[in-house]
Amino acid sequence: MPVSLTPNAITAINAGDVNLKPLLQVLDIKLIGKIQERGQERYRLLISDGALAEHAMIAVQLNDRVKSGQVVIGSIVQLIDYICSTVKNRKLIVVLNMETIIPQSETIGNPKMSPESDAEAQIPLSAPGSMPPPNRAVFNEPAIQQSVNKAPPRGVNFQNPANSTATPSFRPSVQPSYQPPPSYRNHGPIMKNEAPARIIPIAALNPYQGRWAIKARVTAKGDIRRYNNAKGDGKVFSFDLLDSDGGEIRITCFNAVVDRFHDVVEVGKVYLISKGSLKPAQKNFNHLKNEWEIFLEATSTVELCPDEDGSIPRQQFSFRPISDIESAENNTILDTIGVVTSVNPSVPILRKNGMETHRRVLNLKDESGKAVEVTLWGEFCNREGRQLEEMVVDSAFYPVLAIKAGKVSDFSGKSIGTISSTQLFINPDFPEAQKLRSWFDHGGKDIASSSISRDNMPGGGSRNEIRKTVSQIKEEGLGRSDKPDWVTVKATVSFIKTDSFCYTACPLMIGDKQCNKKVTQTGTNTWLCDRCNQESEECDYRYLLQVQIQDHSGLTWVTAFQESGEEIMGCPAKQIYTLKNELQNDEEFAEIVRNRLFHQYLLKLKIKEESYGDEQRVKITVVKVDKVNYTSESKYLLDLVRREIS
Amino acid sequence: MDTSSPSVFVNGALLRRFVGQKVRTVIQVMGSDMGSVVGKSTDDLQIFVRGSPPPSLTTYLEVIGIADSENSIRAEVWTNFGDSFDALNYNELCKLANGEFKHLFI
Repeated sequence: MPVSLTPNAITAINAGDVNLKPLLQVLDIKLIGKIQERGQERYRLLISDGALAEHAMIAVQLNDRVKSGQVVIGSIVQLIDYICSTVKNRKLIVVLNMETIIPQSETIGNPKMSPESDAEAQIPLSAPGSMPPPNRAVFNEPAIQQSVNKAPPRGVNFQNPANSTATPSFRPSVQPSYQPPPSYRNHGPIMKNEAPARIIPIAALNPYQGRWAIKARVTAKGDIRRYNNAKGDGKVFSFDLLDSDGGEIRITCFNAVVDRFHDVVEVGKVYLISKGSLKPAQKNFNHLKNEWEIFLEATSTVELCPDEDGSIPRQQFSFRPISDIESAENNTILDTIGVVTSVNPSVPILRKNGMETHRRVLNLKDESGKAVEVTLWGEFCNREGRQLEEMVVDSAFYPVLAIKAGKVSDFSGKSIGTISSTQLFINPDFPEAQKLRSWFDHGGKDIASSSISRDNMPGGGSRNEIRKTVSQIKEEGLGRSDKPDWVTVKATVSFIKTDSFCYTACPLMIGDKQCNKKVTQTGTNTWLCDRCNQESEECDYRYLLQVQIQDHSGLTWVTAFQESGEEIMGCPAKQIYTLKNELQNDEEFAEIVRNRLFHQYLLKLKIKEESYGDEQRVKITVVKVDKVNYTSESKYLLDLVRREIS
Repeated sequence: MDTSSPSVFVNGALLRRFVGQKVRTVIQVMGSDMGSVVGKSTDDLQIFVRGSPPPSLTTYLEVIGIADSENSIRAEVWTNFGDSFDALNYNELCKLANGEFKHLFI
């Protein structure tokens, strides 16, 4: 099919025309490296209107088009949604949505680099002897305009029930774009633009824009979290937004800004948000499909839109069948939906930082023939967890549960856990749920699903422990990766170092926690803490115990701090400190230590390589000490044997 | 360790395979008499143990002796195993000890 490119499209786009929907040819595709390592891949296209060529970034959600070969070098595409912004005096076109019109074609015309573009100016790009320039004057291609509203969101949009039938799930743009009159450019005094910032799609946000506004619905809102780090105490909360184009982004507020906006923001409502800075998204906390995250500032505005029309979906899901989760990577955040087949009671759990939380495990199955374990943490146990328990356990009714933003864990097979931004929907009113319901009620209930989560490890304490032998720590190079390794060993204490086994700790409270930093004696009864910058009359004695542990495979040194030290020594540090240093009763001291040797424990270890000056040393810390429970240990070993021989 | 006369780990079902041979098992004591004890094997079968039991018995009892029928043992060694003992684990051990790897046990 002969096709004409839109004449002068590059010039028009550079001048700010975003409604042209031009036909352009892709001359080159380049993968721009991973932005700041944790960012996503971006593709940069070189697009041509036959006379001029210009670089254009494509939005991340269009990456698949390149990867799947829908857009290749030579493709003729129609830009449907795009913006052009100025970055450091350079024009940058960002393509938000496009359609491939002709999969591949020879280079049309003899395009030169646009003068607006950076480097490589005026280099002829077409090979000599390629197609002659087409007749540009007669361009008209009405047939192509039809696909404008076809947007690419994957997954399902959960519309407002009121207009779910009428509205298409997606609208390309909210308001006409702002077009600067050409005469403003490059000369004249700089004037502050007092007009309200124009609303742009979330997908178009980038750190190089000055003024922007977005209109979006709050889909999730986190609780206020308090933190304490080197810079001091603080608080933070974040919420997630979804706009009518399916763009999502997280907003984070710190300290005073928390007070300003926390009460304003309500889940489900639509807001106009403006001013704030864009930072790279913290991918380990933020699962949204956006490489940026907005930090609100004192000057930011968050205004409720009371007259929102429901063009913005309530929630956007991209449900993955449970069979897919089996191959999903650890820590992937995803949505899934299934029928709850069992709910376990909520149990209290001690977290690594010593705080208590709750955990509740339930089982989910779906039409893929697989089942998965879902772990609810904290508040979810009591809220949705209890509701589910009442249905399943008390009434033997098996509800459909949709999980938005669950986290995949690969301990003991694959399972899903809740995180703070997870949302649970019980018996939701959308088509997937109805389909599942009818599948379950018409036979699905009796189909045996194989679980992708390994059955509860019989005994052995926590089911997600990784058991190792002492020699495996060295052999497998544990602790050498970025993150510490957490493993459990069954080992016997064979030696305890006694020349120094504890330190003087600061007894002052910081918030609800004791400081515990090392204090130095400044007088007979005064101790100074560098962190608190205060003196106290007393100090605490806390264990810092060097212990040698041994199993059938080898031995190693480990460090045990307060709680685990006390478990190993059987009494508080202060007691034996007094015995040794004040009463100087060496005999009794030696007796106590001797009695603590040759006990066997299950030791949970944190293993991490640290550098001391030039030296790299693997540091092994005892996090938890448990006496061996012979019943559960036997169960564990039997299970191991069974798995080895089957 | 004396390996001249090994005793086979058995539960109630395995006992019948070793009539006339030396076996060891753990039972949950149901009742006792002068010269005999009735107990439940780890796989829930009734076992009679004859001989001279110790004067006081805990809930679980290990006996070593000759199997003289498919549900009775003439015990030579009696050992109290306490009140909390995991019968399921023991039962699994008996199965392992008489399965593919029984050469490791006898």
